[in-house]
Amino acid sequence: MISKNLTAASTKPIILGILKQGNSYGYLIIKKIKELSGGKMKYSDGMLYPVLHRLEKEGLILSKWTLEGEKRPRKYYEITSLGKEELLAEQVQWNQVNAVLDNFWESKTSIN
Amino acid sequence: MFDLEKSIGIWLRSFRKQRAYDEGAIQEMELHLRDHIEDLLSQGYSEEEAFGEAVEDFGDISPIAEEEFANIRVNTGVKSILFHAMLNNYFKTTLRSMMKNPLSSFINLFGLAVAIGTCMVAYAFIDNDYRIDRFHENKHSLYLTTCSINREGSVVEYGTTPAPLGAMLKADFPSIDNVCRMKSNSAIVRYEDKVFSERIHHVDPAFLEVFTFPLKWGLSNSLKSNSSIILSEKMSQKYFGDENPVGQTLKLLFGLERSKMFEITGVAEAFPDARIIDFDFLVNIENVSYANPDYNFNNWTEEIDATLILVKNEADLATIKSGMSKYKEVQNGIDADWPIQDFDFVSINDLHLASGRIRNDISYDATLEGRISLPIIAGFLLVLACFNYINIAIVSGAKRLKEIGLRKVIGANRRSIIVQFFSENLMLTALAALLGFVLAATLFLPWFASFAPVTDQFDLLDPTMWSFLIAILFLTAIFSGLYPAFYISRFQAVQIFSGKLKFGNKNLLTKVFLTLQLALTCVGIAFAIIMAQNSNYQMDRSWGYNPKQILYQYVGDASAFAKLEKKLLEHPEVLSVMGSAHHFSRSQSPITVHLPHTQLSVKELSIGEGYLENMGVSLKGGRWLQQDGRGDLDKILINEKMAQILDFQNPIGQSIKITEQSYDIVGVVRDVHFNDFYSDISPTIFSVTEKKDIRYLTIKFKEGSKHEVYQALKDYNTELFPEMPFLGGFQEDVWTGFYNQLKVQSTFSKVIALLFILLSSLGLYGLIQLNLAGRAKEFSVRKTLGASNLHLAFKILQQYAAIFIISVVLGAPLGYMLNDLLLDMMYPGPRPSGLSGSVLAAFLLIFILIAVMLTQINKVIKANPVEGLKTE
Repeated sequence: MISKNLTAASTKPIILGILKQGNSYGYLIIKKIKELSGGKMKYSDGMLYPVLHRLEKEGLILSKWTLEGEKRPRKYYEITSLGKEELLAEQVQWNQVNAVLDNFWESKTSIN
Repeated sequence: MFDLEKSIGIWLRSFRKQRAYDEGAIQEMELHLRDHIEDLLSQGYSEEEAFGEAVEDFGDISPIAEEEFANIRVNTGVKSILFHAMLNNYFKTTLRSMMKNPLSSFINLFGLAVAIGTCMVAYAFIDNDYRIDRFHENKHSLYLTTCSINREGSVVEYGTTPAPLGAMLKADFPSIDNVCRMKSNSAIVRYEDKVFSERIHHVDPAFLEVFTFPLKWGLSNSLKSNSSIILSEKMSQKYFGDENPVGQTLKLLFGLERSKMFEITGVAEAFPDARIIDFDFLVNIENVSYANPDYNFNNWTEEIDATLILVKNEADLATIKSGMSKYKEVQNGIDADWPIQDFDFVSINDLHLASGRIRNDISYDATLEGRISLPIIAGFLLVLACFNYINIAIVSGAKRLKEIGLRKVIGANRRSIIVQFFSENLMLTALAALLGFVLAATLFLPWFASFAPVTDQFDLLDPTMWSFLIAILFLTAIFSGLYPAFYISRFQAVQIFSGKLKFGNKNLLTKVFLTLQLALTCVGIAFAIIMAQNSNYQMDRSWGYNPKQILYQYVGDASAFAKLEKKLLEHPEVLSVMGSAHHFSRSQSPITVHLPHTQLSVKELSIGEGYLENMGVSLKGGRWLQQDGRGDLDKILINEKMAQILDFQNPIGQSIKITEQSYDIVGVVRDVHFNDFYSDISPTIFSVTEKKDIRYLTIKFKEGSKHEVYQALKDYNTELFPEMPFLGGFQEDVWTGFYNQLKVQSTFSKVIALLFILLSSLGLYGLIQLNLAGRAKEFSVRKTLGASNLHLAFKILQQYAAIFIISVVLGAPLGYMLNDLLLDMMYPGPRPSGLSGSVLAAFLLIFILIAVMLTQINKVIKANPVEGLKTE
């Protein structure tokens, strides 16, 4: 199980990463995170939304309501170019953290 | 039993309690939960289990809400609303929605523009009025001396003062810096071949110091010389064109025998438009004695047009006022007939607006009706345009329900919908204000200035005007936009999408607004009709005599009269020639009649034999006057008004005292209007002119020989008095100014009524069109089921019948009363009575309303029901 703090810190790059693969809406995003982490990252689903709204406010993602036929309306999120840049920056940072940590677990490679 | 929908409802409610969420966010959460439940259901969970699982996974609401709070800063200040209004995308939305409904947008835009334009004209008028004579640097320390005199029981304040006062004031009060006396009379001014009768101001040399009239050429202190004359820019143009006339000589003729040469020593710069006190020619006041050798500056019964004092310190005025009683005593001792009760001082700054109560002062206030009626008219038009906007906005809101619903679903809260609609309105109003200003500057104001005392251009550098325009803009935006914005925004998205919502048609307020609007229109139409009726009435009103076939001329003295009379009597078309000291509409004297208990100020007309008879005045009792022959010099005629005031059982044979002499009344004549109908008939006596006092010549000529006799008279004048201007004309033309004013009033009120009609029929047209568009389905169904055209028309009319009737019932009497008040201020005498104007207005309004309805009914009847049924 991944700690709460680490989960919170990684939410931003994860969401941006998911949206980079394609537009999506809240429920699908969280489903995807759960899938990808194999249940190791435990969220309360609701916590995702304040993050999404904050990212939108920061201009990293955009939202758009769509009405498709008779289905429910959905609020789709889309990554902006600013968001993509941010994702790259996050990637660099996480890699740096990873590199630092690598020094300590030398021989032991981390397995699941 | 577990009820999923109910449970979701309860869960959502706990979200709503958290103020962090707007409707859009809550919708998003709801969709999330529903998606999750759906997934779980498909995995075989029961509804209850699925709901429980989904809610648990979603987590506690309050920590989420706290997170969300960090994202939101609630800001409801004006600044943020404005910020939203200006910078958000609403400008685009506004344009888009305007393009979608071009007709309603045009009606709104045009209506508001016209109303705002009218407001700007009213502003210009009032602003101009408040600037009158306020450009003088000394406006706060320069005062006109006034005196109050008790006349027939009421105390009247006069702007004229006893002649000796000025010199005494200056000698007695060290706190008075300067005194300036003014007296104007007319003289004939001659330069080479240019000869005109002009208004000459006799003033103290201080005139150009106390007033701010800068000179274009010459020296302002030159008036110290008795033979200097200073011209206004206009007069300089008239006599000399663009040339500098300083150093040239003008000849002034005071009467026929007295003439004097004056050297031009200055020309004033063009006067500001907002002025009443001005001059054409200035000469030193000493010249009064030259023009009129009888005039004595030391005589307390002699009047002077104005005694102005310039004080060093405004606080000294109280001291001066309390020191005035000694003059009062002196005056009362000498002129016991009209004892002055009190002296007062009115600053030049306040004089124009105070002129309404001060008689015979150097300023006047002819704009009171305008100051009252113009803002009322402009205000009415603005209210009308706002009602149009509100009604159309509410009804067209129905067309935009889906948009509102969708915006609510995607996260707009009520506030942002209000902001959206309000900023649309603000944008439209701003456009309208711009258009209105352009309309006012290019069309309304120049037209208005062609007959009203106002400049024909806005002062674009006047910050007050711009503030006024912006204030009007916001006022209009708030008044017209706030209610529709709140009204439209209150609907819930759910109601909208479920299609249960209907509004607009049944809105009570829409009905009230429409009623008020039509009532105002009725007032407007009544205004025009009653004004036109009044104009016609006043034009047809008898003057009390027959001005046709009468030609008059100011001849100046008896010898000139005799020369002209001799020539004229030989003319075959001339019926008779009369000489008189006074003349109807041109000259009369104010005199005092002594009665046993009181005294009366009356008008005296001194006339020659046959004058009244030839003028077509009718005798009510007694006999006419005869010149010289029968010794009628101590006999008089009086008019009906005078007879009424005297209240003798039979006035004929009675005698009354005028100054020191007693006169016998030999007859009573019917009332005659010497002046226009703005002024009431004065008590009048007619006395005999002695031959030596003749000033006027009056000709009665044969019918149809109008131009012939006129030409002959002018020719005789040129022949006999080549140096004199011809000062005369047809008697029927003496009221031209008054009639022109009547025509202007009539035209003005018609234009106003047209605006009212235009705005409200446009508004009604737009409203009905939107309304019927909403009922297209209903009408199509009715048609398909075989409703007759008449039945359809009836169905449509039915909705508005009550509104029409109430508005007419409200508007017609209101229009009558308001007009009555206005006319009462303008015309003291009789005017067309009765309600016919208002009734006519009511019919006209109903006719217009039905015409507007018919165009729409026609559309409904012609429409293909298939199309109507297809619409959503």
